[in-house]
Amino acid sequence: PQDPRVLDSMLPYLTAYYGNPHSRTHAYGWESEAAMEKARRQVADLIGADSREIIFTSGATESNNMAIKGVARFYKSRKKHIITTQTEHKCVLDSCRSLETEGFRVTYLPVKRNGLIDLKELEAAFQPDTSLVSVMTVNNEIGVKQPIHDIGEICRAHKVFFHTDAAQAIGKIPMDVNNMKIDLMSISGHKIYGPKGVGALYVRRRPRVRLEPLQSGGGQERGLRSGTVPTPLAVGLGAACEVAQQEMEYDHKRISQLAERLVTKIMSEVPDVVMNGDQEHRYPGCINLSFAYVEGESLLMALKDVALSSGSACTSASLEPSYVLRAIGTDEDLAHSSIRFGIGRFTTEEEVDYTVQKCIQHVKRLREMSPLWEMVQDGIDLKSIKWTQH
Amino acid sequence: VNVVFVDREGRRVPVRGRVGENVLHLAQRHGLELEGACEASLACSTCHVYISEPHLSRLPAPDEREEDLLDQAPLLQENSRLACQVLLSSALEGAQISLPRVTRNFYVDGHVPKPH
Repeated sequence: PQDPRVLDSMLPYLTAYYGNPHSRTHAYGWESEAAMEKARRQVADLIGADSREIIFTSGATESNNMAIKGVARFYKSRKKHIITTQTEHKCVLDSCRSLETEGFRVTYLPVKRNGLIDLKELEAAFQPDTSLVSVMTVNNEIGVKQPIHDIGEICRAHKVFFHTDAAQAIGKIPMDVNNMKIDLMSISGHKIYGPKGVGALYVRRRPRVRLEPLQSGGGQERGLRSGTVPTPLAVGLGAACEVAQQEMEYDHKRISQLAERLVTKIMSEVPDVVMNGDQEHRYPGCINLSFAYVEGESLLMALKDVALSSGSACTSASLEPSYVLRAIGTDEDLAHSSIRFGIGRFTTEEEVDYTVQKCIQHVKRLREMSPLWEMVQDGIDLKSIKWTQH
Repeated sequence: VNVVFVDREGRRVPVRGRVGENVLHLAQRHGLELEGACEASLACSTCHVYISEPHLSRLPAPDEREEDLLDQAPLLQENSRLACQVLLSSALEGAQISLPRVTRNFYVDGHVPKPH
């Protein structure tokens, strides 16, 4: 949900202060421009950047598209190779696929069973004409945190630009673009309790990263993203970033406690539950559990008064099980039974307890009905069964 | 110092200039269509040109304000510079300096502004 403080900061710009921030000649424009620049500074402060390095976009999808396609196309006369991972967000993978049709080569790095990439494989993947490496900071489906610091060092050593999709990480874990040697970073408004429809892209100035703009027009946002910046949304994003910076530590402690509570309670009552992704290098608020011998969709429908998903929002319409879970080597039957629990700033303890209780109740009920569960109880090894077609 | 300008239609114009002369003014003296709207005061991107290697690497690196303005120039490439910030020197001997097809000022009707 949107933080009420964010809404408070946005309202004046939706009502009285309606000037176009790019109008240089009158007071309506000046006051909107001042608000936009203040928001830019708030976003920059959260990640340790200069405010001139922040470009407002329509969301992290646009930022990812701009970063990947923009950098690749600008340097295409000399560099035609890109490295990314198999667990990236769909917009990153789709941008890479469309670049492949333009003649670029893309290496999709596999991940280990715990969801993290192997740094040695990353080193081996570099080629003399690599222009960009894109690795997301925190995965949106299993919550694992990649070793961004180490990846940044490796990229710097190879003089290759490093882009990270930090939509799930910003405002939740401390990020510093200089410390982590990040050259491009995507930011999403609605992931940090801000408004939907706005995001940002951090583009490093020293050493300068050049992009071919996706949107042509009047040259706003340093010529990289033309179009009027939506002042109320940008102000909301800025306020969300400032609030997140202040509340980061407290939120993290609270969410860790709630996550611990949820996982311990479920795992103590119900056997054969697997947590997908590394236990240690993760963000606590995104938990993905697989309940063996239970079908994920039926569990979700049983828990329909709790907002859960078996994947991410952007893949909830598709029928295939999550490619992220497949990349970490989950068996297909476990991949179908996975549920993602998201815990945030506004989740209460009662909500967690309710979810846990309902979850345990329905898992037990569905397992009673499941023939696979019966067979396991009888000691049959499911993998030895030959399933026949009727 | 001898350099070769390549104008928008691809015509090669060899010119000769003195060391220390500003490349924008050199181009304008020889009738090339570099607008120079801000009169070399580092405030626009209309004198955007492409400079050939290895001459480009021999030039001093652009300062931050020039980089900022280059960001706003359309059809940017890795060998782009602002001509008003490049001074002729022996390092540029034999360089090929090409004009991009468009600048930020929208003269889609074919209008060519007089040098400022």
